[in-house]
Amino acid sequence: MNPDIIDGFTQATLASTLAATAVGCLLGLVVGMIPGLTISTGIIIVLPLTFVLPPDISIALLLGLYVSGMTGGSFSAILLNIPGTPSASATALDGYPMAARGDAGHALGLAITASFIGGLFSFLCLFLIAPLLADLALKFQSPDLFSLVFFGLTIICSFAARSLIKGLLSALIGLMILTIGQDPMMGTARFTFGQVNLIAGVHFLTALIGLFAIPQLVDNLSAAVRDGQGGTSRARIRRILPTLNDLKSIRLPVAIGAPIGAFLGILPGAGGPIAAFISYDYAKKLSRSPERFGDGAPEGIAAPEAANNAVTGGALIPMMTLGIPGDPVTAILIGALLVHGLAPGPLLFLERGDFAYGIIFSFFWANIFNVIIAFLGLRYLVKVLAMPKSLLMPIIAILCVIGSYALRNNFFDVYVMFGFGLLGLAMRWLDMPVVPLLLALVLGRPLEEHLRVSLVASKGEIDIFFTSPFSLFFLAMAGLSIFWSLNAERRAKKAARNEMESKQ
Amino acid sequence: MRKRNLISAAILIAIGIGYAVLAVQLPTRNIENATGPSFFPLVVVTGFLILAAALLVQAMRGRANLGAVPVLAKISRRTYIWSLAAAVLYLVALPYLGFIAANIPLFAALMILYGEKRTVWIAAGSIGICLAIFFVFREVFQIQLPAGILGGLV
Repeated sequence: MNPDIIDGFTQATLASTLAATAVGCLLGLVVGMIPGLTISTGIIIVLPLTFVLPPDISIALLLGLYVSGMTGGSFSAILLNIPGTPSASATALDGYPMAARGDAGHALGLAITASFIGGLFSFLCLFLIAPLLADLALKFQSPDLFSLVFFGLTIICSFAARSLIKGLLSALIGLMILTIGQDPMMGTARFTFGQVNLIAGVHFLTALIGLFAIPQLVDNLSAAVRDGQGGTSRARIRRILPTLNDLKSIRLPVAIGAPIGAFLGILPGAGGPIAAFISYDYAKKLSRSPERFGDGAPEGIAAPEAANNAVTGGALIPMMTLGIPGDPVTAILIGALLVHGLAPGPLLFLERGDFAYGIIFSFFWANIFNVIIAFLGLRYLVKVLAMPKSLLMPIIAILCVIGSYALRNNFFDVYVMFGFGLLGLAMRWLDMPVVPLLLALVLGRPLEEHLRVSLVASKGEIDIFFTSPFSLFFLAMAGLSIFWSLNAERRAKKAARNEMESKQ
Repeated sequence: MRKRNLISAAILIAIGIGYAVLAVQLPTRNIENATGPSFFPLVVVTGFLILAAALLVQAMRGRANLGAVPVLAKISRRTYIWSLAAAVLYLVALPYLGFIAANIPLFAALMILYGEKRTVWIAAGSIGICLAIFFVFREVFQIQLPAGILGGLV
């Protein structure tokens, strides 16, 4: 057996790492279930902690939060009909009706079980696929890597935006911001305006805190959300553990949701909400009694929950093997690894195989702790839903400031964070997604480096990108992704026009 | 949404032109076959200007209106302006006052903004939580946050 696997398992099974994973799971369940708080915000809150912790413990904590955040989102979806995270939106369709008829515990138990199975399935995918993909990625040269990163950016833009133009513009704004600081090839200062603090560029995590947390703080000012505070459910939680019959009834939806989630997790940008709705749709189509969906069918809870938790392991595959984040959370994980001087990508498996497998096994433990803590602590955890926003939001605001400062012990980063917060609000006002911008900040540097190294190697000839089969494949995929999203956008506009005309 | 798209496209084009002008002025180095520091920014801004122009055309033709117009928090413009002014004041004062003295009024202001009305709760919450966060970071996580004007006391 590969010694890295044993070392990785040992690393992930150390008491300190397990404790961090468990704490992460507990935090994840809490953060996930609070409407108005996303998993990204939860990670932002604990981010300052990770600067002082060793990398294996930091990642274990963040993975726990990621995995359990997905499950936690279903709690408020089932009990309050308010999804704690966007990924839990589909769960509310059947979870809430089931809770409303007095079966809240049953619904929650099914959600936790399906999440667990989906998570374990994606662990297997991660464990089996990631090393193979990393081996393949080692064969990639600079032109291939450029085309791969370019493909990653186009697919993110197409998934993350209702308008492809706005998605691409968002990514390009990210790339423009990324050019602030030293040129990676020659060290020339670019767009620093004589400001010493800008020479190292804008830190990705500072941008992330501003882009995600500040718009969310403003969102929560909204009366609708504020009125939702203290939204304790009146549903009584009786039996939580599913019976053998329950498990039999969710076999098919889980078997549908888990692979769909894992596959869509691998695709950058697709994410939990899409996976959850697609799985729900397939589970309904393949069900013997589709008419029960929407009225509290167990299958309607199991399919999206298996899918959104399976997304987590899927999203870790491109992150770990190619350095391409599948969603904002994996982008933050990359940022957290970079803070510790570890760059995710194929070399991670070659140079720090023990650490790479340590991440994989920490993910496994995160799924185990998730199910244990969720089942044992459910009755107590749901009391968090009563926590007033008037206390929670100021705490988040203060932690954002501290998180930005603690990154480099610099007040300038706090100002930059605030600037990004305003940018995030402006982008929301313009209906422009922030995710492509964020991911461009992660992918921009390798994009520029591989582009320029390739052009130096080819003496300025762009043919180099079309002669390598890998590069050609990724460019073709990028073209396909743009074409597909243009087509989807055109159809959506046509449907909207038809709907308007039919109303008139 | 059409008006917003028009405004945003115009602003984005202006930003793109400004960025391009700065990119062209970046210092160059004559190294054979090597691309200079301005190469990547110029590639990016070219794409940016093309897309911003496309957005402008779409907006002028009324074709960029997909879905509902996004709404930020439903609060009055006055609250927005006061919040922004308070945030700027906080950011300016933070390095001088330090994390405790600056965070307590910010925390209290945010509690009020998020609907808390009980004075005792506001006072206890803002002072208690800010002190707790400060000491947890300093003593447990070993992250030294500047104490500012309270440096001699804590």
